[in-house]
Amino acid sequence: MHQFFLWIETSAFSVWIRESTSVFAFPSILTAHTIGMGLVAGVNALLDLRILGVASSVPVVELKRFFPVMWFGFWLNAISGVVLLIGYPTKALTNPLFYVKLASIAAAMVLVKAIQKQVFPKGPDKTPGYPTRLAIASLFCWAGAIGAGRFLAYTYSKLTSLD
Amino acid sequence: MDDFQPWLVKTLASAKPVAHLMRTHWAWPICETLHFLGLSMLIGAIGTFDLRLIGIGKRIPIAALHRVIPWGIAGYLLNMTTGAMFLMTEPDQYIYNPSFHFKILFMIVAGLNVLAFYSVVFWKVRVLPAGIDTPLSAKFIGAVSLSMWIGVIIAGRMLTFYRPGVCMTEALSFPFYCVPR
Repeated sequence: MHQFFLWIETSAFSVWIRESTSVFAFPSILTAHTIGMGLVAGVNALLDLRILGVASSVPVVELKRFFPVMWFGFWLNAISGVVLLIGYPTKALTNPLFYVKLASIAAAMVLVKAIQKQVFPKGPDKTPGYPTRLAIASLFCWAGAIGAGRFLAYTYSKLTSLD
Repeated sequence: MDDFQPWLVKTLASAKPVAHLMRTHWAWPICETLHFLGLSMLIGAIGTFDLRLIGIGKRIPIAALHRVIPWGIAGYLLNMTTGAMFLMTEPDQYIYNPSFHFKILFMIVAGLNVLAFYSVVFWKVRVLPAGIDTPLSAKFIGAVSLSMWIGVIIAGRMLTFYRPGVCMTEALSFPFYCVPR
């Protein structure tokens, strides 16, 4: 594993992410990751709250219009997340909390797919369901992913495999 | 500004119990987590409402979607509280930080935009039935709000790289100019 981390960390791209003093390197990648977080967690939380009864006069099916924004946030974060991982593989992958974050996001993805199936039913004869338990679980997953992500900066044991 | 900034730092630093609390073991990261949760609530509620003003999701009546705004306000208040706590703990890291100046500027514009929305536009758009396009004034206000909040996130995230002492004047002179101290 040490060799693998070292191989990534000595690559030109990884060095650029860590060491470039350009505002377009690490600062912008981190900023993109924060904007993506707001979009994916924010829009998903809105759907969850609607399922739980907030703004009940909003036709739930119409919230589908905002899903492209949510998925844009998701993919922005998948990409910026991988880039941050290439910059600091040891820091992330040796921290158990990083796996908590990934598991929370994976669970949130499974939940949003399951929720989507119920609230955006295919076929004209079906009425939307209100999976309140899934919505609550989804809110906890996003809060967990955000909390775990934030704590990564304070709980890592090793920054790089270099030195 | 010569007198204002030192006075502000001194005043903020006088909130000693807050700074004391924030320096306990996990207080700072916990507040950061709350700040990020508040950010997501604000974007989820206010950002979505802005998109509706711009014209996405036309079949949702504006008055109906407006019911989510209190959740955005809750996120805003959560972030004002946690933000004030950061500020009272490390005032000089913010008061002399060019990124923070832009963050405040974007928040002021967003605030004025809210005033413009509720004093002029809201009364026109809240009676619009589903499916009807919003007037240009509503689209403009939605676009300003969305860009300002994205700007607040950008400037907020960049704070760390423009801290006095950390700020590398030559290397990171874009988009904010470092303040030499």
